[in-house]
Order: sequence, then C-alpha cells, then structure tokens
Amino acid sequence: MTRFLIPATVLILLLPPGVGAQERTARWQRSGAPTEVPVTVFHSTQSANLPTAETLGRGEWLFEISHRFLPAVSDGAGALWGLDGPVYNRLALSYAVADNAMLGITRSNLQDNLDLSAKVRVLASRAGGIPVMAALNAGVAWNTETPAVFGIEDNERQAYAQLIVDALLGERLALGVTPTLLNNPRIADIDAETAFALGLSGQLYLSDQASLLAEWLVSEDRPDLGHDAGTFGIELETGGHFFKLILTNSARMNPTQFLGGTPFEFSAGEWRLGFNVTRVLKF
Amino acid sequence: MSAQEYHVDREGENRVTFRSRASIEEFEGVTDRVDGYVLLDGERLTPETGGDDTGFYLEVDLASLDTGIGLRDRHMRDNYLEVRDHPYASYEGRIVATEVVGDGRFAVSSRGKLSIHGVTREVEVPCEVEARGEGYRARCDFQVLLSDHDIEIPSVMFLKLANEIRLEVEFTVLPATPER
Repeated sequence: MTRFLIPATVLILLLPPGVGAQERTARWQRSGAPTEVPVTVFHSTQSANLPTAETLGRGEWLFEISHRFLPAVSDGAGALWGLDGPVYNRLALSYAVADNAMLGITRSNLQDNLDLSAKVRVLASRAGGIPVMAALNAGVAWNTETPAVFGIEDNERQAYAQLIVDALLGERLALGVTPTLLNNPRIADIDAETAFALGLSGQLYLSDQASLLAEWLVSEDRPDLGHDAGTFGIELETGGHFFKLILTNSARMNPTQFLGGTPFEFSAGEWRLGFNVTRVLKF
Repeated sequence: MSAQEYHVDREGENRVTFRSRASIEEFEGVTDRVDGYVLLDGERLTPETGGDDTGFYLEVDLASLDTGIGLRDRHMRDNYLEVRDHPYASYEGRIVATEVVGDGRFAVSSRGKLSIHGVTREVEVPCEVEARGEGYRARCDFQVLLSDHDIEIPSVMFLKLANEIRLEVEFTVLPATPER
C-alpha cells in the first residue's frame, strides 16, 4: 500500500503554495501587475567630477560641498598628506524642476568660477534586461578672478555640452560614457576654441551603502593642462547623503575647469586627496 | 442568511501610510495602491459578524510607496523591502469580533497573517469601520517591527529608520458584482 502513498505525497508537494492553507472562496482577482520599479544605474547624480544620467525627483534640492587638497599625498606627513591645504573648494546647489530635469549653480574658488547648468534625462529603460539611462547636460561658466594675462579679461566665459550614456551590468557595475564639447577650455588664450573631451566613469556597488568609483577624462594636450584626469575612490550613501573620498591627479572641480585636463601626471607622486559630500533636501 | 463578498474599491480614496520615527529623522511613506476583498458571513456587518465564515485578503503594492524623496524611495525598495522579490505586503485572515460603536459605525477586530518582505507573522489588527452607501469605509491602525520581518536596518551609519513602524490602512469596500 505504501507505493500508492508516495505519489499522493509528491502531488501535495507540487501544489502551488497557498492551496490548502486557506480555502479562498472569494471571486476577487488581482488587477494588473505591481508598480514597475524605476530604472537605476548610478545612484548619485554625479560621479566624482563627471555627471551621471541620474536626476533628482521633482522638487528636490541637492546641496554639495567638495574639496580637493592641492598638495600631493606624496608630500608626506609634513603637509599632512595634503590635508594642510591649500584647498580648492566647491559649493553647489541643484534643483529638480521635473522628475527628469534639474538646474544647478556651482561655484569654485579656483578663478572664482561660477557655473550655471541644466541636465535633462532623455532615456531610462531596461532594454533587454540591462538598465540604461541617457541625459543631456550643458552649462556656462564665468571666471571672475582671472590670472593677470593681457586679453584674458575678455575671455572669461566658458561653456560645455555633454551627452551622458550609462548602463548597469550585472546589477552591480555602472558604466558611463560622456562625450563632451568644451568651449574655451583655456581662458589664458585670447581666442576661444571648441575642443572635444571624453569622460568615462565606472562604479562598482559592493553593498547597500558602499561602492568603489573610478573616472577617466580623455582631453587634448594643451599648455598647463597636459594630462588626462584620473580619479578613483569610495562612495558611501545613506538615505539622503553621498560621501565620496577620492584620490585624483586633478584638483580642478568645476565642469569647464575639470574638462580641460590637468597639469599633473597620473602617477602616484601626483595623487591628491579630495572629497565630495552631497545632501538631498526637500522642503 | 447569505454570505456577501466585498471588494476594495480601487477608485475609492484608499491610503496606506507608514510612519518611521527615528531619533534624527521622521518620515512617512504613502500609497493608494491597496487591493483585496472582505467576506462577511451575512449581507451586512452586524454585532454577530465574526468567525470562520468570514475572511479577508488585503495587499499593498510596495513599489508604489512614496516617501517624498526619490533616493529614500530607492533605498526603501531596494535595500529594505526588496520589492523585486517581494512586490506585495499582504494581510489575510478572519474577523474575530464586531462591536457597534455608533450609528453605522463598528469596531472590528481581526486576526490573520501579515506578510512583509517574505516573512509572515500572526497579528491582530483593530479597525474602525463605517457604513458608507452599499459598502464600508475601514481604517486600521497598527504597528509592526521591521525586525519581525527580517528587514535589516543598517547599523553602521546614520540610523534614520525606526524599527517600530506605524501603519495606517484606509480603504473602501463595495459589494462584489460580476464585473467588480
């Protein structure tokens, strides 16, 4: 008789969960699928210096304070590995006018650069299972404290336009490509030129809170700005903050300044410490 | 006495609110995406309503919860509730007892299985119910502990989520019809 009991046991195990647990006599049926989870690629609206295609939610503010310590880490304990300063400082405030559009004002004490920018996310999809996002970002900046070079006072305005394409691979690795047009990369030049730069960014999300980030900026070799900028670091996120602690060979932070390149080589002797802290606020 | 089935009126003013009161930050999340049914042992709610011939199932679409800050919503969906694996929170059970507290107003006690984050707990939930037209308006107010549902609160940094979460569920039910 035991033989006949086995198939019955198997049958019970095969029943969908819930059946038998409680008899549901109701005619009610669920209408439709659950709300679709919005696409996420990079968690933050920016990597260390490059923007991501992520935007804030409508009505949200983002406040940022960032530092780059000018002395290199290799200056050693005497300069507290750069923390003695001087520092470049950057303060920024952004506001989301829509769920996919934000405006920002950013000031850096390097040549008192004041930057106004706008970013619009134009795509967010999970095409073929891979979360993809794209955005357009553009800005204009004025350098109100310029070096004493003849003609430079008339050439203090800079501008840029960027396409940002981000994708998330394997749920953990976010990658971004940012082709950029930069007008007037070098304000010491009397005539403004328009140059091309390419930003590459990657972020590996290790846990709910911690990630590793890296950035590379391919820029033209120009006087005083002869090198590509490389950055790597860690990011910690909480409910509303992002903390980024980085090493970089560029101390320049505002977009028109960073995108022009850096005077320092990408080698351990030229790495500098820096941090970004951002806070999302809603009133 | 025939049994009556009621369904949540999706066009009704339904509202699910959770409140977290941590030491630094207080916030709430809201959604109107609650659905389900209530089975009564008779046509209408009476002081005799309750027992094994009653039943209900209510579910909340968790990805629709809005705390007002996009980043916090994402953390809630991805880190705490893990909605991709557990898209619904549900409460399934029976009416235990019904008490008339006023004209067309009832205090209903319920007992059942509360399932959040894939972890099911036996709970008792009191609800205030008011007759409204053919149907009823219910308001249930109770507390859950996130630790009861294996929802981990990060302990390393900036604890801003309370373990004790207050839930308020308000919904309207209407008699089930062939098309509803």
